[in-house]
Amino acid sequence: MQSEQLIQSLIEQTRRIINQAEQLKTLDNPTLNWKEHETSWSILECLEHLNLYGDFYLPEIETKIKASASKSELEFRPGLLGNYFSQSMLPKERLNKMKTFKDKNPLNSSLDRTTIDRFLAQQMRLLQLLNESREVSLNKVKVPTTLTKLIQLKLGDAFPFVINHNIRHFKQIENVQKAMKEV
Amino acid sequence: MKELVDLSTKSVSLERNDYLKVSGSADTNAYYVESGSLRVFVLDDCDEQIIRFGYTGDLIASLDSFFSGKPSELYIQAIKRTVVRVIPKQEIDAFLQRDSNRLLWANMLESLIIQQLEREIDILTTSPKERYMRVLKRSPRLFQEIPNRYIANYLRMSAETLSRLKKS
Repeated sequence: MQSEQLIQSLIEQTRRIINQAEQLKTLDNPTLNWKEHETSWSILECLEHLNLYGDFYLPEIETKIKASASKSELEFRPGLLGNYFSQSMLPKERLNKMKTFKDKNPLNSSLDRTTIDRFLAQQMRLLQLLNESREVSLNKVKVPTTLTKLIQLKLGDAFPFVINHNIRHFKQIENVQKAMKEV
Repeated sequence: MKELVDLSTKSVSLERNDYLKVSGSADTNAYYVESGSLRVFVLDDCDEQIIRFGYTGDLIASLDSFFSGKPSELYIQAIKRTVVRVIPKQEIDAFLQRDSNRLLWANMLESLIIQQLEREIDILTTSPKERYMRVLKRSPRLFQEIPNRYIANYLRMSAETLSRLKKS
């Protein structure tokens, strides 16, 4: 696939996520903190979960882009593993459960509205990194994952991985809002 | 203006604070503001710097992308609930195949250049009071439609300075 086309579509997906996050700001505190069960996540907890991942991936991506001497390439070829990982993040028709690592579980941490601002600031930073990625090779720059240092993703797979993960939890946020209406 | 609006292919509705365009996208559309208002800004490090506003009845675009087709760092965000009509670049290009339309376009670009020049002088004016007076005189509408904190940012002054100037 064309590198520029990929970057444009990722920027567009990020724009949509930002708009959804902006609208969450209009919700009141009880709504933002409401949860269906004791062990399910509130809207703020979903966002904090994404923030915890952002805290890891955004600085990693930034460092790797800055350190790379590679040149931009017209074509991006998704890696087998990378493509599998990023696709597996996308929500299925009926949101499938996935296991959360303990250090990325925000359950019952004390959160307030600044969680939304933190998320939005991360998205602006993500846009900036997508911009900067035009100067390097999406194939050659490698980004480590939280799973193990042994598995590295191509930069062009790492971005969809992070963004699909955002999409996944915004789907979950939608479901939380639906469940709340039904109560 | 009506001739151009007729070229639009669809409408887009935005809630308050929704982004029409974000940094990095190559958005070559022009937008006619049917209702509401928007701001165009860049991020300078983490600080927003407002470049322009668009009100009801205005045409707005990420001008750099519009002309070059390349990605631009501009953000366009709705200040309140807004509806825009989307006018794709290729529609405008087709429209400009006709000589009579080109004259209309040239007039629009001329007035745009004059506006840009005025804005450049604004920014280069040292005294906050002078900057405020210039913009107040030129576009009183700004002060009716746009929240103070955005006007202050546009005028490159603190919200406190602006409110002091408005009182004096």
